[in-house]
Amino acid sequence: MKILPTLEGGLRIDTEDAGDWQLLQGITNDAVSCDESLAHRLGNLITDPDVAPDWREYIVPDLEEGFSADVQHVTTAIASAQLESAGGPGPLWITRDDGFHWYSALNQARLAIEERFHFGPSESIHPASLPPRQRSAFLRSQFYCAVQSLLLEHVLR
Amino acid sequence: MADSDTLTKTREDTSLDVPWNVIVHDDPVNLMGYVTYVLMKIFGYDETKAAILMMQVHKLGRSIVWTGQREKAEFYVQQLQAHQLKTSLEKSA
Repeated sequence: MKILPTLEGGLRIDTEDAGDWQLLQGITNDAVSCDESLAHRLGNLITDPDVAPDWREYIVPDLEEGFSADVQHVTTAIASAQLESAGGPGPLWITRDDGFHWYSALNQARLAIEERFHFGPSESIHPASLPPRQRSAFLRSQFYCAVQSLLLEHVLR
Repeated sequence: MADSDTLTKTREDTSLDVPWNVIVHDDPVNLMGYVTYVLMKIFGYDETKAAILMMQVHKLGRSIVWTGQREKAEFYVQQLQAHQLKTSLEKSA
């Protein structure tokens, strides 16, 4: 897989095989992999009794809807590009307008992985020492982080 | 009660003038550059101020990024959480 910035301020992801598509589909799977949604986890930070009840009733569902829409946007983009390339080598375009949806979905995936495995700062992790399931999750998180860095550098700013 | 009746609920609030702090907490996922970007986008801070606040989050575990009226504080926390930053609010001491 190669990822390059475009002249229009977006990114182009060139996949090489079915494994690359599987890796991209992991974004969706990881983003929704926690028992408790991100909106609820963030809502738990609001503890003041004057604010918390209304927050849970009104803000959490609103955040949940926004996060789900971002993941759905990315899921659809990947499925559509995969279909066009018949699951083989092919491009996936992230336009400037798509940028935040992608950043959000990737971040949700990384936050969910962190919630499940509690890796902490990545520089202190040695992937070779992790059990296979955790190693795989850690490496996916690192890949998502690399795409986020490109989005931040070339698309969001 | 008929379907068209409206219930009006009033709430007494004696702490309207107390300032509220908007707090961003550290986490191992959100990129430092992204936190800076979000603080600039939401509060309109220049890059230097946003980067200083981001470094406080990173080094101290949390930073008060804004203080003021409750409604506005709630709005900012909602915006920060929509950007997936770990954010809370508390009454200013």
